[in-house]
Amino acid sequence: MPTMLLPDDRFGLGLRTDHYEEIADGGARVGWFEALSENYMVEDGGPLRWLDRLRRDTPMALHGVSISIGSVDPLDGRYLDDLARLVDRVEPMWVSDHLCFTALDGVQMHDLLPLPYTEEALNHLVPRIQTVQDRLKRRLVLENVSSYIAYDASEMTEWHFLAELAQRADCELLLDVNNVHVSAFNHGWNPLDFLAAIPTDRVRQFHLAGHSHNGTHIVDTHDHPVADEVWTLYRAAVERFGPVPTMIERDARIPPYEELLAELEIARRLASEETPA
Amino acid sequence: MSANAGSLADLQRAFQAFMLAGDTGFATKVRSGGRASREIGLAVYRDGYALRLIEALEIDYPGLMAMAGPADFELMARAFIAAHPSRHPSVRWFGRHLAAFLAATPPFSATPAAAEMARFEWALGEAFDAADTIPIDADALMSLASDSWPGLMLDPVPSFRRLTLAYAIPQAWAVREQAPPGELGVDPADRPTPWAIWRADETSTYRSLAPDEAALLDALAAGGTFLDMVGAVAPHTGEDEAPARTATTLRLFVEDGMIARFRLSD
Repeated sequence: MPTMLLPDDRFGLGLRTDHYEEIADGGARVGWFEALSENYMVEDGGPLRWLDRLRRDTPMALHGVSISIGSVDPLDGRYLDDLARLVDRVEPMWVSDHLCFTALDGVQMHDLLPLPYTEEALNHLVPRIQTVQDRLKRRLVLENVSSYIAYDASEMTEWHFLAELAQRADCELLLDVNNVHVSAFNHGWNPLDFLAAIPTDRVRQFHLAGHSHNGTHIVDTHDHPVADEVWTLYRAAVERFGPVPTMIERDARIPPYEELLAELEIARRLASEETPA
Repeated sequence: MSANAGSLADLQRAFQAFMLAGDTGFATKVRSGGRASREIGLAVYRDGYALRLIEALEIDYPGLMAMAGPADFELMARAFIAAHPSRHPSVRWFGRHLAAFLAATPPFSATPAAAEMARFEWALGEAFDAADTIPIDADALMSLASDSWPGLMLDPVPSFRRLTLAYAIPQAWAVREQAPPGELGVDPADRPTPWAIWRADETSTYRSLAPDEAALLDALAAGGTFLDMVGAVAPHTGEDEAPARTATTLRLFVEDGMIARFRLSD
C-alpha cells in the first residue's frame, strides 16, 4: 500500500456548505478539510463545482457514511465505482468510513448501526475491507461509531475487535474521541481501556465532535461544541498516539466558521501541551 | 456465545425489522446492564431513523412544509417513509418519489397542489445538481448561414426541466418564507401553465412559458429541427408568423442560458 500524504498543518475542519462562501473569500485557515464523500458522489453540478474550487487551495480527506462495510449485503459495486471516481478527482490524503452496517437487503437505514464483536464478524469484514482497499488502491480508514446498544452475541470488547480487525485486514483507524466517550458512558466502561488497546501505528486520524447529554445516555449529535470530558480524553489520545491529524465535525446548529476555527485552536493548544517537542 | 445470539445476518435482519417496523424480537438479542437501559438505547435508533429521513424531506421540500406546517408535514413524511424505504446510499435521493406518492395516496391526493409543489421543488433540486455546461451565446446562432437554419437542432442545458402546473406553484414558492408555517396558500392557475426550470450560473431559475414557447421547447427537447419547431409553433401563431416567431423565441432562450449547443441535421 502506498504511504499516505500528511498535511503540513495537521488540524482541520469538516467541509460544510454553510461555510463555502466564507472559505472561498477569506481562505481556509486550517491545514485540511474532511469532505463527506456522498455529498459529492454526483455526476456534476453545484456540489462538485464548490469541491473543485476549494480543493485547489486546501488538502482534503474523504469521509463516507454509506459503504456499509459490515453489512451482509454484497458490497455495492456502483457505490465503489462512484467513490473511486471521486477519489481520482479529489486525490484525498486518505479515505475513511465507519465500522458498522448502514444498509440491508438494499434498504438504507442512513444510520451507523453497530456490529456484534464476534469472530464471525471479523471473518466477514476482512475480505470486504481488502476488496475496497484493492479497488481504491489505498488503505481504508475505519472509524469507531457511537453505540447505544450492545449485543448478547459479542465475544470480545469493541477495542479488541478494532485492534484485531486493523491487524487482519491491514486497514487503518479513525479514532473518534467523542464516540469513545459516548459509548463508554452508555455502556459503562472506561474509555482509557479503549485507547490503551488500540495499536498506535494504525491511527490515521482523530475526530472531535459535540454530543447531546440526556442524563441517562449520551447521543452523538454533532450539534454542540466539544465537551470538556472529550477534551480530556483527547489529551490522553494525543499522549498515546502522538501528532495525529485532528478535525472537528459539526453537522447541526452549524456555527460561524470563525467559531469553529476558535474551537480548533483549543485542540492545537492541548495537543501541543501533550506532544513531546 | 449465549443461546439467543444469532448469526450476523440474523442479527442485522432483526435490527432492521425493529427500525423499519418496530419488530420487538430484536430486543431479545440486546444486552441489558449498561448505564443506558436497553429500551433507551433501542429508542435512540428507532427515533433517529425517522427523524433523519423527515429532515431530508424538510431540506428538499420547504414549500411543502410552508403549505402543510410541521405536524401535517411529519404525518405525510412518516407515511412516505413507510411506503418508500430509502434505497440510495445518499439520503439526498430519498425524496425523489414524493410527488408521485402524494398524487396517488389518500388523503394527500385530495390536495393536488401538494403533489405539484413537490414536483416543482424536486425539479429545482435536480436543476441545481445537473451537469455543468457553458451555454452558447446568441452571436454563435445568429452567425449561421440562412440556408443552414431549416436543419438546425439545439440541445437544452442538462439542468433544463419542463413542467406543466395547474396551480400557481412557483408564485407561492417564491413567498414561502413570508407565510407562517402551514399557511402558505396556493391558488389554482387560470389555466394549466407550462414552466421551464434550469440553472443559470450557480442558481436554479424558472419562468412561465407562453403556449407557443412551450410547444417550441418540447419540439426542441425531442430532438426536432428548426422546421419541426416552426411546425410546432404554427398552430399558435399562424403559418406566416411561425418562422420569425420561432427564431425570435430561440434567441431569447439562448440569451437566457437555456441552450447548451447546436448542430445541423444531416
